Amino acid sequence: MEKNIKILIVDDFSTMRRIIKNLLRDLGFTNTAEADDGTTALPMLHSGSFDLLITDWNMPGMQGIDLLRAVRADPKLQTMPVLMVTAEQKKEQIIEAAKAGVNGYIVKPFTAATLEEKLGKIFERLEGGK
Amino acid sequence: MPHDSTVLSPEYADRLHSLMELIEQGGSPEQANRLLDEITKLRENSLFQELGKLTREFHEALNSFRLDTRITNLAEEEFPDARERLKYVINMTAQAADRSLSAVEESNPICDELHQKAQDFAADWQRFTHRQMDAAEFRQLSGRLTDFFEELGSNTDKLRGNLYEITLAQDFQDLTGQVIKRVITLVDEMESSLVDLIRISGQNLIKGRPQEEQTAEVAMTEEELHRHKVAPMGPVVPGVDDDTTTVSGQDEVDDLLSSLGF
Repeated sequence: MEKNIKILIVDDFSTMRRIIKNLLRDLGFTNTAEADDGTTALPMLHSGSFDLLITDWNMPGMQGIDLLRAVRADPKLQTMPVLMVTAEQKKEQIIEAAKAGVNGYIVKPFTAATLEEKLGKIFERLEGGK
Repeated sequence: MPHDSTVLSPEYADRLHSLMELIEQGGSPEQANRLLDEITKLRENSLFQELGKLTREFHEALNSFRLDTRITNLAEEEFPDARERLKYVINMTAQAADRSLSAVEESNPICDELHQKAQDFAADWQRFTHRQMDAAEFRQLSGRLTDFFEELGSNTDKLRGNLYEITLAQDFQDLTGQVIKRVITLVDEMESSLVDLIRISGQNLIKGRPQEEQTAEVAMTEEELHRHKVAPMGPVVPGVDDDTTTVSGQDEVDDLLSSLGF
């Protein structure tokens, strides 16, 4: 697993961003940036050459699902892996996220092991695809 | 009927006038009694009219209160619902505090022990550098140091684990924040409903409103229904939210996604 990849963490709660950032650091990923909703995340994604997007669903402004759709609709960003980390746990929503092209779906509250497993799966598939 | 209270009504004036004339002309007591009876009856009538009007207003106010289904719904369902949500907040914050405190309490003795041992070794080491230690004692110190290095590794691992536990315990803030925001929205809605109720009962404009709301709800299109289903609702609160349309944890998410070919 390439540890130097650049990761954007999007969540409206700074506590949750901090938790995810700490967990990622523990897993060896230190190259991270933060945004508090889709509206601020999108320009960062455009200018920042990120390798992975980790986003919440329920945020004021632009929601995570809309950010995911915007990423998939953008020729420059459409192949970027997106991991959703959210408290949303309606089956309809999970199906909706899958349809929109999410690469992983983690429900809060979650453990470090879950995050590691989902990241592993994403990279496994990426490396397998190459 | 209400009339200007500063002017005597014609019915009263007529009868009082007749009574005055009767007294001046020395009329019979029977005639005077009849006029007095009539005046009393007039007075009773206007009292009954006022009372009737008050009763009707009271009745209408009560009706408008019952007719406002939104308020009934808020009071019967959403407020108990909000109470459960707030209890969930209390539980989550209590759990987070317990988790953090346990981790701190477990870490403190480890820090104390490391501190004490480091001080002891510093003293021994100073004696060694000042050549105040014989070979046998040095061998013993060397053995203790070997053990200490091993302990140091496992103890710092424990400390890191506890710090990690404290970090993870902070995730309550995100979840409880979302629940509280939802309850605040509910309180805002209750407030505006109450303001509406006051306006409605004040003006007696009660007809037709609940029905309009009902038809608006029925008329949800397919697309709106879908949007409603995937609209973010925040964390599922056990025992409050419908558990047939939601998943209960990561395992169910994974199962659902793998059933979709993920």
